[in-house]
Amino acid sequence: MADAAAATTLEWATKEPCLMGIDEAGRGPVLGPMVYGCMYCARSYNDTLATLKFADSKTLKEEQREELFESLKVNSSIGWEVDVICPKDLSAKMLKRSKVNLNEISHNSAMGLVRKVLDMGVLLAEVYIDTVGDPEKYRIKLTEKFPGIKFVVAKKADSLYPVVSGASIVAKVTRDRALRNWVFDETALNMHMKTGSGYPGDPDTKQWLEDHKHPVFGFPTLVRFSWGTCTPFFKDAVEVTWESDDVDEDATNNGRAKRQVKLSSLGFTGFKRKTEEIESSGKGRCKFFQARNLELVRKFQ
Amino acid sequence: MLELRLVQGSLLKKVLEAIRELVTDANFDCSGTGFSLQAMDSSHVALVALLLRAEGFEHYRCDRNLSMGMNLNNMAKMLRCAGNDDIITIKADDGSDTVTFMFESPKQDKIADFEMKLMDIDSEHLGIPDSEYQAIVRMPSAEFMRICKDLSSIGDTVVISVTKEGVKFSTSGEIGSANIVCRQNQTVDKPEEATIIEMQEPVSLTFALRYMNSFTKASSLSDQVTISLSSELPVVVEYKIAEMGYIRFYLAPKIEEDEEMKP
Repeated sequence: MADAAAATTLEWATKEPCLMGIDEAGRGPVLGPMVYGCMYCARSYNDTLATLKFADSKTLKEEQREELFESLKVNSSIGWEVDVICPKDLSAKMLKRSKVNLNEISHNSAMGLVRKVLDMGVLLAEVYIDTVGDPEKYRIKLTEKFPGIKFVVAKKADSLYPVVSGASIVAKVTRDRALRNWVFDETALNMHMKTGSGYPGDPDTKQWLEDHKHPVFGFPTLVRFSWGTCTPFFKDAVEVTWESDDVDEDATNNGRAKRQVKLSSLGFTGFKRKTEEIESSGKGRCKFFQARNLELVRKFQ
Repeated sequence: MLELRLVQGSLLKKVLEAIRELVTDANFDCSGTGFSLQAMDSSHVALVALLLRAEGFEHYRCDRNLSMGMNLNNMAKMLRCAGNDDIITIKADDGSDTVTFMFESPKQDKIADFEMKLMDIDSEHLGIPDSEYQAIVRMPSAEFMRICKDLSSIGDTVVISVTKEGVKFSTSGEIGSANIVCRQNQTVDKPEEATIIEMQEPVSLTFALRYMNSFTKASSLSDQVTISLSSELPVVVEYKIAEMGYIRFYLAPKIEEDEEMKP
């Protein structure tokens, strides 16, 4: 998804030791992608960078951020990358059977960026990251994964190090654009993008969620289903029975599925077939119904 | 006219608690020989058979065979109103659509009548095939309950294998696996703590723990449980009810997906 700006490795980056900052945008909101951005430059360029008025993206206005991002794109002394994690992925990872928590996802994304930049041949010497979780543990994790690189993990790194501020602008602008140009997977009527800030407390966001909920499908894929904010909206949703769940339950055992035998197949004879069984077999009914496994129901829930 | 007087009222309470999780509605059949019930769970995987012989009742009068359909949860609700030492009398008139439970306190100073509506349940008696079992395990019921409970915190199914070594209960799940082996153990002074294994040939079968756990609700009825196993047959988990009869649970095993059991 990253519209790679630095597809061709900048020449200076392979020769001089470089600094890199990593920051994220859109960790908290209930909708839209989470974006990890990084920015790197030669160590010798760091002083110049400090004069470019990069600040924490949250303190800047949207236009200012866009402007800075454009200027950063044309600056040949700066390289950057983004990793966009779409809300569908976030929901899936956080809700699947072996759950991955948001910190884990964040760590993996950051490490993915470091890996990507290293693979491009950039001579990374120092990496500055805004912390997620415990800074010291995070630092050890990163150092183990990438020995030889000095990692500085700090709270509020985006306001302390210009290179992280730059990364935060990259991330924030990418997220804003992704959200602005969001194309819905869904084709329901009356969908709109008045999402507000996306933060769970924002009344606009709440209203948007209320407008876009569906009794069967929940929300559009823009929404991170794994957020606690979503749960109350599903209070009166339709209950769905997954036929595959029964199979799943068995499959976890010894890795192979076992089938539950019924008593009737073990010599227990003489009982009337329950009406439900006759119905679901479709015996004696029109072919049309049999072929489609359609059954008679007396109760609708 | 039906009148059954059971001095040990708590027994009936325990029976109800043991089966109401498995079956919601069932017919109680009364004949000259006793008070019985046979019912399958809704998925036709487990069957419960209860017998309380006429001799076990202080007074037993059943003029003609009678089948009474009851909702077991409702029946349990009523029986819960009886004290543990109360004498319970079950009464029904011919052709009536209600049954009356009468609770008498031991000192005869309080008598309560609970009348419950009967229901029409469409069911037929199952023929349970008579068979020789390959292995019969008798063990303390509390021990068996404990094993089922422990294993169900790890897996969904239990493999019960009987070998010369003893009886092995094993399970495995996402977090790991567990094996519990019980060896033959005959304590002369404490027969209720004995574990006795009669084995014709080794047998190993897999069952859903959910059902096993619900069977063990009958543990309060008897110190010992008898588990009879044969390949290609449902397991029988039997709790004897002292001097009166038994409660038996039959459970169909789980088999490998590809192997098909002959009906």
